[in-house]
Amino acid sequence: MLARTVRHVLQNRSFHTTPICTTFWVKSKKQGYEKEQPLLPTKKMILEGLKDLKDEIIMWKEEVKEKLETDPILIYRPNEIDVYCRFNTREEVEKWIVTSDSDHNEGYSRANFELSTAGYGLFNGIVTANLPKDGRIKKAGYASIRSQRHTKSFRRNTYYDWSTYNTLVLRVRGDGRPYMINIGTEGTFDVTWNDIYHFVLYTRGGPHWQITKIPFSKFILASNGVVQDKQFPIPLNKITSFGFAVSGRGGFDGPFSLEIDYVGLEYDPSNIEEFAYEMYKQEKYIVAT
Amino acid sequence: MIRCRNCVISIVNSRLRFQTYNQSKRLCSNNEKTEEEKNYENNREKRERQHEFFAKRSLILKGAFECVEHKNKDSFLDMIDIFINKDVNRRNHTEFIYAALKNMKEYGVQRDLVVYKKLIEVMPKGKFIPTNLFQVEFQHYPKQQQCIIDLLDQMEDNGVMPDYEMEDMLINVFGRRGFPVRKFWRMMYWMPKFKNLSPWIVPNPPPNDAFDLGMLAIERMCSVDLQSKICVYHTKDVESSIEDTWIVSGQSIVQQDLLKQHDKKIGLFIEGPFNIWLRYRCISYFILRSEAPKNFIEHNDDIEVDDVSDIDVPIFSLGRVKQKKNKVAILRSVHEQKDGTIYAVCCTGVSSKDSLLSWIRLLEKNGNPNLADLLVLFKFISPTDRDVIVQTKEPTVKTNGENDTNEDNKN
Repeated sequence: MLARTVRHVLQNRSFHTTPICTTFWVKSKKQGYEKEQPLLPTKKMILEGLKDLKDEIIMWKEEVKEKLETDPILIYRPNEIDVYCRFNTREEVEKWIVTSDSDHNEGYSRANFELSTAGYGLFNGIVTANLPKDGRIKKAGYASIRSQRHTKSFRRNTYYDWSTYNTLVLRVRGDGRPYMINIGTEGTFDVTWNDIYHFVLYTRGGPHWQITKIPFSKFILASNGVVQDKQFPIPLNKITSFGFAVSGRGGFDGPFSLEIDYVGLEYDPSNIEEFAYEMYKQEKYIVAT
Repeated sequence: MIRCRNCVISIVNSRLRFQTYNQSKRLCSNNEKTEEEKNYENNREKRERQHEFFAKRSLILKGAFECVEHKNKDSFLDMIDIFINKDVNRRNHTEFIYAALKNMKEYGVQRDLVVYKKLIEVMPKGKFIPTNLFQVEFQHYPKQQQCIIDLLDQMEDNGVMPDYEMEDMLINVFGRRGFPVRKFWRMMYWMPKFKNLSPWIVPNPPPNDAFDLGMLAIERMCSVDLQSKICVYHTKDVESSIEDTWIVSGQSIVQQDLLKQHDKKIGLFIEGPFNIWLRYRCISYFILRSEAPKNFIEHNDDIEVDDVSDIDVPIFSLGRVKQKKNKVAILRSVHEQKDGTIYAVCCTGVSSKDSLLSWIRLLEKNGNPNLADLLVLFKFISPTDRDVIVQTKEPTVKTNGENDTNEDNKN
């Protein structure tokens, strides 16, 4: 009798009368946006893997050497800009990932990141809030660039450690639009996979360059693009990626261009702020619900 | 939702679905389809009568917002008033609000707080307030709550900051635990923080007039140099000009001095049009520039202080002390960049070649006499196929657009 009941229950397991709740468990980091790439033949995969292995071992050797030879830098001289990335070569620019809503047929914005005629990284394209009329998409109109996840040898994930700095320095030439700076702090668990810290980059526009300094304390935590009620200061030793984004919503449809010379880091002793937003305890069942 | 085949009227009502479908079929069967297409104007009255007929039956007409002739704020508010006063039950108010939200842009009211408030007024007071914990947790009246959340979302997208009257209105509708109220509180926490954060202030709303926009744009670009002077010229002051338009030009004394020192053998460029955005308005501008001198050093202080591999110790390196070169150099102005020296910026009323030629003549008259001897080339960037948005069924990415440079000789 029991066996029959168990079998009955097991057999009927695939039948759901309610929609499946996927709130708690997330399958992959891309959350449904992954591209399926066909696997290479086993022989080819082994050969290519061995090819990569050579470079990876060289990289690993350098890492070990660096660890043994160099002492950790304990003091960073104040007000000195250390460049995190400078876009002066094609390779440096091509390393970055460009995305826009048209990539997944979710809109009509287009973007590319290339070397400008003056020899800097140029993030340009066109953003539009037009929606594809498929009844699936509610909102559209963004474009973004992002650095790849920071890795060390043998493709192991690692983090940038920026904890000795407190200010972000950017030398850019924009077109008057506000852009968004995204600093990814991807964590181990699925709830923290899409943690990104944001802040606005206002651009002057015009032919002149501008240098913008933004304290890290100003950055806002958002997960999956939703600003969080419970805010935390940015964990500067856990930085995984860096990027810019632009939106075409609210009448901002049209071409955009942001020329970037470098992204730098600085320790500014005059900036003593830890976190710019209120951290006091909120009323129960209102915040983060 | 049922859509009548012969006209654009859609009817939303779950209870009377089939009944009304038959009715609408009967109503529209009199009209020939082709005739209606041809004589859209003539049939408007007929349509309005139909609408009245449906309005009496307290149904929502999805096409109602599209049918209005004069689309402005007043007619939009009238529509809301009609809906509010039509019926005690206010059936299908969420559908009405969604239809209104969708059509706000056409009425030009998408940045108007008053209109959003008026839309919230459509919601009945007190009915949706949860009375116990479970109702709160399970989003009491979810469709209505989501509707107002979408409304607040649209406000956010358009940069409309709510006020505290709206808080009271939302609390009256959904109670203090309502999700729209929580969204309102979030908005009121974050939006004021960014409202006036931009270091380059632009009035809200930005001016519609191209001249005012041009003035703002040039002022903004010239904020890089405090000595900049903004002049308004008129092309009719130049004898040979064809057009009659305005030119807003920005130049500083530093730039004038640089132009004076400019080598006559090297040509100048007028480049553009480039875009500058002032909030959601965009205007194109042109620049007068030259290539950077060949001996341009980007950083004046190129001594690597971190390099400890070769420190000069005078005692140990007596015989081979290198004479350090004198590193003193003239401090460069902001206008001398690695990718060129910028001499002036301008916006013109028509952005044509002729008006730019007049600009050069006027600059020559006003403090830059040596422009007469200089060679000025036009370097126009034509809009590429990237800039043309075509709505196709499947968006495709085209990246092979090239900048078409069109060089023309002056003098």
